[in-house]
Amino acid sequence: MTTIRMPQLGETIVEGTILKWLKQEGEAIERDEPLFEISTDKVDTEVPSPVGGTVEKILVEEGKTVPVGTDLAEVSEDGAGGGEADQAAGTASDAGAGGAADSGDAAAASGDGTDASDAAESPSPSAPPARTAQAPEPAASGESADAVQEGSAAEMPAVEPATAQGQEATAASADGASSAQAGGAQPLPDRGPRSKILSPLVRRLADEHQLDLSRIEGTGTGGRITKQDVMAAIEGGGAAAAPSAEPAAAGQPAPSEAPAPAPAPQVTAGAGEEVVPITHIRKAIGEHMLTSLQTSARAWTMVEVNVDHLVKLRDRAKDSFKEKYGVNLTYLPFVVRATCEALLTHQEVNAELRGDQIVLRRFVNMGIAVSYDAGLIVPVIKGADAMNTVGLARAVADLAARARAHQLKPDEVQGATFTITNPGPYGSIASVPIINQPNTGILSLDAITKRPVVIDDTIAIRSMVNISMSWDHRTIDGEIATRFLARVKQNLESWDFAEDVSV
Amino acid sequence: MATTRTREPAEGTSRARFPDDELKRILYLLKLCRYFDERIEALYRQGRLPGAIYSGRGQEGTHVGVVLPLRPDDSLFPTHRDLSAQITKGLDLKRVMAQFWGRIDGYTRGRDGNSHIGDWSGNRTWTVMSHLPIAYPVALGAAQAYRMRGDDKVAMAICGDGATSNGRWHEALNWSAIAKLPVVWVVNNNRYAYSTPNELEFPVPTIAERAAAYAMPGVRVDGSDVLEVEAAAREAVERARSGGGPSLIESVSLRWRGHAGHDPAKYVPKELLDDHMGQKDPVKNFEQRLLGEGVVDEDEVKEIQGRIEREFEEGYEYALASPFPEPADHAKGLWVEDGYWTSEPGRNGPTEYS
Amino acid sequence: MSQRVEAGAAGHGAEPRGKRTEDGQATYLIAIAEGLWEEMERDERVFMLGEDIGVYGGAFKVTEGFLDRFGSQRVIDTPIAEESIVGMAIGSAMEGFRPIAEFQYADFMTSGFDEISTALARVHYRSGVPLPVVLRGPSGGMVRASSFHSINPEPWFSYAGGIKVICPAFPSDAKGLIKSAIRDDNPCMFLEHKWIYRRIREQVPEEPDFLVPISSAAVKREGDDVSIVTYGAMVHRALEAADALAKEDVSAEVVDLRTVYPFDEETVLGSIQKTSRALVLSESYRFVGIGAEVASTIAEKAFEHLDAPVVRLSPPNVPVPFSPTLEDAFLPSVDDIVGEVQKLSAW
Repeated sequence: MTTIRMPQLGETIVEGTILKWLKQEGEAIERDEPLFEISTDKVDTEVPSPVGGTVEKILVEEGKTVPVGTDLAEVSEDGAGGGEADQAAGTASDAGAGGAADSGDAAAASGDGTDASDAAESPSPSAPPARTAQAPEPAASGESADAVQEGSAAEMPAVEPATAQGQEATAASADGASSAQAGGAQPLPDRGPRSKILSPLVRRLADEHQLDLSRIEGTGTGGRITKQDVMAAIEGGGAAAAPSAEPAAAGQPAPSEAPAPAPAPQVTAGAGEEVVPITHIRKAIGEHMLTSLQTSARAWTMVEVNVDHLVKLRDRAKDSFKEKYGVNLTYLPFVVRATCEALLTHQEVNAELRGDQIVLRRFVNMGIAVSYDAGLIVPVIKGADAMNTVGLARAVADLAARARAHQLKPDEVQGATFTITNPGPYGSIASVPIINQPNTGILSLDAITKRPVVIDDTIAIRSMVNISMSWDHRTIDGEIATRFLARVKQNLESWDFAEDVSV
Repeated sequence: MATTRTREPAEGTSRARFPDDELKRILYLLKLCRYFDERIEALYRQGRLPGAIYSGRGQEGTHVGVVLPLRPDDSLFPTHRDLSAQITKGLDLKRVMAQFWGRIDGYTRGRDGNSHIGDWSGNRTWTVMSHLPIAYPVALGAAQAYRMRGDDKVAMAICGDGATSNGRWHEALNWSAIAKLPVVWVVNNNRYAYSTPNELEFPVPTIAERAAAYAMPGVRVDGSDVLEVEAAAREAVERARSGGGPSLIESVSLRWRGHAGHDPAKYVPKELLDDHMGQKDPVKNFEQRLLGEGVVDEDEVKEIQGRIEREFEEGYEYALASPFPEPADHAKGLWVEDGYWTSEPGRNGPTEYS
Repeated sequence: MSQRVEAGAAGHGAEPRGKRTEDGQATYLIAIAEGLWEEMERDERVFMLGEDIGVYGGAFKVTEGFLDRFGSQRVIDTPIAEESIVGMAIGSAMEGFRPIAEFQYADFMTSGFDEISTALARVHYRSGVPLPVVLRGPSGGMVRASSFHSINPEPWFSYAGGIKVICPAFPSDAKGLIKSAIRDDNPCMFLEHKWIYRRIREQVPEEPDFLVPISSAAVKREGDDVSIVTYGAMVHRALEAADALAKEDVSAEVVDLRTVYPFDEETVLGSIQKTSRALVLSESYRFVGIGAEVASTIAEKAFEHLDAPVVRLSPPNVPVPFSPTLEDAFLPSVDDIVGEVQKLSAW
């Protein structure tokens, strides 16, 4: 299949209008026969087809104005199988195949200098096309991925840049605070001849808000990322700019008539009010929380756990623990240990839903929610299932301290398979946490309080704690969730942690 | 009424004109101006003086003579060559020298140098500018102000023979006569404007006769006789002061040195120079005259010279001890509101504005 | 001894305020005349000099009636001697007066170029003597007056450094600014755009101390998409262009510099921070014109706020031509302004 793209007829031309299709879908066409008419600033002209065959699909209708390089139509060649999957539209995984198949057939209309014979039809410009680093084109074009050429020929890559992979759901996770990793490192994809032109304002705003420009669609002339595009990305939420991958339209630039979202209204303080602008981290957290609620079918279950013995153990052991190991002994390591075992025996709770598939894991990376000056962050204890209480105590103390000092590394805030939050020290007795995407569950450890409980039909005073879990009903059901929590409870109530803390 | 004449030498003795102490003061001024000119040139040639020098040697008779009749609140608009006129008007030698060495205590706070000097607030002299005769129209304005206010003050402007070729010279004389303003126009005809001799500057025999075209009295005097110059100036100043309008004085001498320090002035014929330096030296002539008339004796002359030399040395020391202007102040003082000129200038840092 | 000359077509009598319209509006010309009159009445050190300003009332009749009211000592008819007119102003200012020198056309200011740029601009810097001098005259084109009666001299005299150069576009601004200029102790050049003289009128304040600060710009029309930074008669073209652009949903902000040297950077840069796009529109020539200075200041100081290059729109450096087709092509038209703004929006 050959993709016909909008040609560049002149160095400064950045877009063209389809005046008229001379062939309809299903019609046969010969090589060099005029296929459509276009209008540009410089010239109105007929564009002939680079191949003979059948017009399979017309992608852009008459009267539409699109940037140079936009896919316009597909023509299947005489003798070429119609079922070939080497379409111009590719997903990330098709990076290699799609591009290679197209290179030889690159539409002459795009002025690709490598196809001398096919280039003969169109009045192609002299400038060679620019390509992204990802497009697996032979070195014919010789352009660097970062070349910014206003108005020069830019062939649309056949592929979506690899960076777009998997960004829809993961972007919404609570590791928004680590968005710094996303900014600036990747080259911008080719989304139009001017998509790499970054004005000083755009650069500064992207830098200040730690935006990944490769995730922002440029709606300006020639695909330029404009001020409006950047403002929309900032207001739309943190590091995640509007993702460009729609599977059907992959490889297409946004048509220039995409509307810019309205800017946020200015807030003025009323009497007795103070207006405080929010940080981008706050915005990122907010976005992730909202997305999480909109993604998971969240349910919630709670159990009561008798931790009287743990309280006594801790009272006995905490001083010598501190002296011996250098860190404080809290209840969190006990709960993490108990939870890890339960996660390994109830792997669905430790799983992740990816599309239509559930990914089970035989290890636990435990996310621990930490509250700090900028808001909330979730450092991850990798391989928590292999640690004992002492190790977990150390890990928790270390991660919490470094979180508060803003010293966490990027890979320390990703990869959690399950998350625990501990609002207990602040006093709550039950909480309904929001799932840390893409986990299936998040466990809340609330305050330990002395309560009257019934034991053997008598009332006794015991230290009790509510342990609850928000869980994703898409992945698991109530029975599994409850059984899991019961296991955690059982572990906490029955294990002898004294040995574990070596006291 | 327009008359042009060449004045006859002053009749009678100097004492007929002035009391002794005034005569001695005039001698002191002449000798001071001469000594200053000679020493400054020497320092310049030794490379110890920055900038440029414009010698007025040989023209002291003109410069001292025309200023003598002026009152302190009369205004003077001189050129770069008329430093002697400014000294006669009252400029402090120390501050003059601080200006020559570009120091903060100079009259322009280092913003201009050498004889591009003036002291409007203290002595009502215009801070000299190079374009000539740029001050002639400004003198018109001062005179206009005196008339509008009903003062009996007088404005006096000096320019050289070369400047009389310029349109502004004619504009100013013209307008001053139309409006009958209280101004005295002095031309220091030292025969050369740089290398241009009189014959290439004006087509008429004398500058003074041009006064007729502007309906004002014009007189040509011998610049080597300070008393003759003074007499003509006095008459013109009094005419202006009493509402009689403007006058033109052409005082003739010779420029003994080049246009500026670097100019050897080979275009001046040697005979002319020898004649002037021999016979028409205004300083020597006046000294001889006073000695001859017994107004002073040799000892007094020596004492005056000694005083002058001491004053020069003191001024020189003062100048070298004065600090340079603060670099950070270079863009200050353009607008009145930044307060630079109404504050004490900075000596160890930028100026603090009051 | 002065001859009485009949009042001009306005016919309401000597005092300029009598020449307002029925509903109390003043044209730009009358507003300036009011400002001059009020300052002459307020401070007897103020006086005026110029060619034909007394008996004739001024070539444009700005000073009609002034001679009768203030007398020939304070309203002085001069010979045609521009250097000396300026010299007169300097000398009298040094002696405590506050002269206002009129140039029949701003074009004739260059006849006094040396006294203006060498003397007037430099006296204070070198001596501390203030020169409260105002030079004023009609400038600008758009009236088929060709190259000797249409100049925009503001770049020449802004360059001198030491002269404040003021170019109002509206009657109230003109009145407030001429009063400020007269009260300012520095040399001020007040350029009155002749096209605006009788074409623009508005309600103008009457308070004797109504002043507009020198070196303050004003946003004459708010907008979000593009800033058009301009002055003089071009402000009115910019406003017209903004109306046309609004119909196409492009919101243009028009910033009137009011004073071109020194100009109000804060207001200009604040506008660019809001809109991120700048069109600098100036009737002075493109090369070394006022637009060149404003544009480079924006590019230098608001670089990180720009979403598009800073664009200048000015006539070329050629003498102002006479024939209507030539002058119209020479000047930035409303269509030209609209076109440049559209290009900026689409950049």
